[in-house]
Amino acid sequence: MIRPQRRPCFFRGSSAAKTRLVLVTLLQVANGQFRRLLAACLRSARTFRDWYLRPSAIEQRGLDLLREWLSQEQLAQYDAHKYFDVIGCHTGRRYRIHHGNGANVVELNDAALPRTGWCFVPNDHLVAGDVMLAQKIALETDEWGALAAANNFAPR
Amino acid sequence: MATQIIMDHNGDTRHTFDAKDAKALLEAERRFKALTGAGFTAATRTASGEPVVRRAFDPTAEETLFFPRLVGG
Repeated sequence: MIRPQRRPCFFRGSSAAKTRLVLVTLLQVANGQFRRLLAACLRSARTFRDWYLRPSAIEQRGLDLLREWLSQEQLAQYDAHKYFDVIGCHTGRRYRIHHGNGANVVELNDAALPRTGWCFVPNDHLVAGDVMLAQKIALETDEWGALAAANNFAPR
Repeated sequence: MATQIIMDHNGDTRHTFDAKDAKALLEAERRFKALTGAGFTAATRTASGEPVVRRAFDPTAEETLFFPRLVGG
């Protein structure tokens, strides 16, 4: 009678050192694969986030219009910081218009620190680019009119 | 060609017209009056790019931007 040959047990007969070496190697391989998987997941999440946060065609059109009307200095500032400064036509005060479509205008003091927040927006639902452009034109051409319509708030 | 740009919920709507065409000019003036009468502010840009608010129709303006009345948010 021929006995079926038993499969050799991997660990049986191996020394403790050999076993540890094998386990460590397996762990390292698994760790590498896990890291690669994690990196791939992060890449996918980043791609999804960029896709989700991309400006819609309408938003992009509003931003394009804003960019056409900003001065060179304002455009450079907006590209660098997502805000731009305007000078009020009546008082000469400096206002900072942050990217957004509400509660995004801050009056700055002489040290360029926030003094007062001003909230005024067009009375129609507009995209951020349009809102910021309307705020810019209002402050540069009719500062008192804009502030008369605005509500103020304590800036952060 | 001259353009009137009206901010709205679609981003903006543009009306292009030939300022040498009397009929088109009349239509542009009618649009200007209708929009400003409805509370829109009309603005043009100077040669140096500074905005100027227009209370009356300017037939020589190459680009006029209209935005809705501003209100406290």
